[in-house]
Amino acid sequence: MKKIFNSIFIIALTALSLGACDKIEEGNYIVFSGASGEWFDGEGVADHSQRALIEKYTGVRCVNCPDADVAINAALSQYGDKLLAVAIHDSCLAFTRPIGDSPDMRTPDGDTWSKYFGIFNGSYPAALVSRTTTGNAWDIFTPTSGINSRVDNVIGQQAKVAVEASAIHQTDAISITVNLEFMQTVSDDLTVTLFIMEDGIVATQRLHDGTDDENYVHNHVLRDVITDVWGADIDCTGNSGEKRYAVFSYKNFSQNWNLDNCHIVAFISNKSTREIINVAECEIK
Amino acid sequence: MRKKIIIAASVILFSFSAKAQGILGGHVTGNVQLDGQISSRDSVIGSTDVPQKLLSNARADILYTNGDFSAGLRYEGYLGPMLGFNSQYAGQGIANYFVSYKTQTLAITAGHFYEQFGNGMTLRAYEDRYLGIDNAIRGINVMYRPVRGVTLKGLIGQQRYYWETRGLVRGVDAELSVNDIVNALAEAKTRITIGGSFVSKYEDDETILSDIDGYKLNLPLNVGCGSVRMDISHGGFGLQTEYARKGQDPSIMNNYIYKNGEALWVSASYSQKGMSANIQAKRVDNMGFKSVRSESGEMLYINYTPAITKQHTYAFLSMYPYATQSTGEIGLQGDFMYKFKKETFLGGKYGTDLHINASLIKGLDTTRIGGIGTDGYTSTFFGTGDTYYGDMSLEIAKKLSGKVKLTATYGYVVFNPVVEGHEGDIHHNHVVIGDMTWKINKKNVLRVEAEWMGSDSKYDPAVDDKRCGDWIMGLVEYNFTSAWFISLSDQYPYKDGVGNYYNISVGYTKGASRMQIGYGKQREGIICIGGVCRNVPASNGLTFSLTTSF
Repeated sequence: MKKIFNSIFIIALTALSLGACDKIEEGNYIVFSGASGEWFDGEGVADHSQRALIEKYTGVRCVNCPDADVAINAALSQYGDKLLAVAIHDSCLAFTRPIGDSPDMRTPDGDTWSKYFGIFNGSYPAALVSRTTTGNAWDIFTPTSGINSRVDNVIGQQAKVAVEASAIHQTDAISITVNLEFMQTVSDDLTVTLFIMEDGIVATQRLHDGTDDENYVHNHVLRDVITDVWGADIDCTGNSGEKRYAVFSYKNFSQNWNLDNCHIVAFISNKSTREIINVAECEIK
Repeated sequence: MRKKIIIAASVILFSFSAKAQGILGGHVTGNVQLDGQISSRDSVIGSTDVPQKLLSNARADILYTNGDFSAGLRYEGYLGPMLGFNSQYAGQGIANYFVSYKTQTLAITAGHFYEQFGNGMTLRAYEDRYLGIDNAIRGINVMYRPVRGVTLKGLIGQQRYYWETRGLVRGVDAELSVNDIVNALAEAKTRITIGGSFVSKYEDDETILSDIDGYKLNLPLNVGCGSVRMDISHGGFGLQTEYARKGQDPSIMNNYIYKNGEALWVSASYSQKGMSANIQAKRVDNMGFKSVRSESGEMLYINYTPAITKQHTYAFLSMYPYATQSTGEIGLQGDFMYKFKKETFLGGKYGTDLHINASLIKGLDTTRIGGIGTDGYTSTFFGTGDTYYGDMSLEIAKKLSGKVKLTATYGYVVFNPVVEGHEGDIHHNHVVIGDMTWKINKKNVLRVEAEWMGSDSKYDPAVDDKRCGDWIMGLVEYNFTSAWFISLSDQYPYKDGVGNYYNISVGYTKGASRMQIGYGKQREGIICIGGVCRNVPASNGLTFSLTTSF
């Protein structure tokens, strides 16, 4: 018994000691944060649509999460380009931990959002549509139902700000252009948040019956927030008719991502309330 | 069920009132402390009116022990916090609780605990109520002795941050007593202990922008700090040393640079009857280690580097205490005590005690590389920079008769204000102290103290350092009936200074209880204990204190 205890104790101490120190190589102390912050007068936006973004918080050990995928895919088919979706695998709860050697889709930015919105305190799957509120609380819901009414509420309004994004993969960077056109006067401070997401990631997902599907395909998975996690300030007057654009350069992408399956999403949000005003998506060309 | 709970509660309460003994076969002990303060505006010394009128700090520790098992909790109340204590303490509640099981070979504590590995250079979770510092860890702490002479420790938890917990700290420590492990050395006069520890912290990523537009820091989320140590003694000789090294830890303390940290501490001593000598050396380079990288205050320190300056007790010698510079310093201290025997020329009828102490602390010799998001600087190991602090004191204590003891002290202090974070000329102070204690009879003791300090510093309103100038001080303290005492004192900067700091206090002690009430003015300044310091603002008014234990 004593030998067993000794072994457990020494293994535990060793485990604590190992792998508990990160080393950043010289030359990598700083990384591109994405926001150039340089805004110019633009040519305007061709498509003045009001779109909605559904942020789904999910985990590979969450057996109910595939149900949300079914419901969200149905909504995406129904609403076409008026609805965008992103799947956020945060690391705040144990059932987002990868199964076996499956790819780890968790991100620190996802953790930040999960903590801020209080997602991690609840149950998964959980979602927000354009970061709207109900009463004084975030309108967090289980996205196996109730998607349509929330999306309708958002896209049923006239766009305050129309937004478009385009992205070009250059030698070692992705150049992203965001165009804005103010359809109404907006007095609040606004920010633009850019993130990159990837489709077609095959990673093991636990299902209702407790089995693990090693070939489960995960789509629109958040890979990285390109700007500051709460966005980059938009330099504008906010007057109706104003047209602005900015170019961002992103270098921090991983070799493990398939850029052909990646998309860039740009959303405009109220700087103080965090509510998403409009959103656009583009492929990386 | 409810009836059983009421009966159990009644038993506990009854037992508690009955001198708090014998509860469920165990014992309850505890202590209570209440400090209060009323302070009002005095524009000369810089004190301000307190909106709450009355400030108070209170605490009550309750400890239950039953054989190898113990459990405890501590109530703390800061309503509102006394001057000098961080306003984030405001509030009240159970600040500390734990359960513990301890035997000779195994100790497990869950809840809040304090711990130190070696000299604390990798981990020191401790509390100093007078500094307002409590970096207790809330988690699990295990100590295990698998065989005689081997002590292993492991812990994981979060540190106390006022009324919250922050960060995540993991640590292991091993200590081997060579004489206990190697049979051939069991009876050896030379005793050897070696040890090592490793501590790491984890912190979430965050956005900290670099100086280069559009770039942010690539932060290490896990930061490790390890050390090795050795303690050798042979008769009266002793040698202790510890070397610690810390990985990249960009933080607000080091302006977010990526340089590794290191620290070396060496202490050599010799003692025999009537004499002791000790010399200590220390070099610290970028060793500030906190569980939250953006914390700039006095909280959340994981480690500690031993202070090698004397902890002076007399007012003028301690007016310029030295705060350990975890960003970088190199220093040396020597301490010598000798007792001249009775019936000798210098010893006289009762003997004479001589105590000499000197220390010198300097900055490191550094070459700047860059600012935030770089390695920051390079430093040479033995090179030195600016003088931060130096002091020398000579103390002679002698009994003049069976009832009268006289202590005479001369001290010299060199102090660079840069260690407190502001510019200014280096201060050079000479201090002379006379301290006489007269045991009138078994129940009555009179103590008289006089101090003088001559300084080359002059009070400058732009800098507002109220320690400047030449000072005199007098103190009379009378203990009577073994229970009461009254103390009168005044500190006055008679040249090139400001203020007049008089105090009167009365106290009463009975058994384990003590009450004290005082009135007077407290100079703005810094108090340090073991190189850890906090600011104390000026105060003008009433203070009171009540402590008791059971």
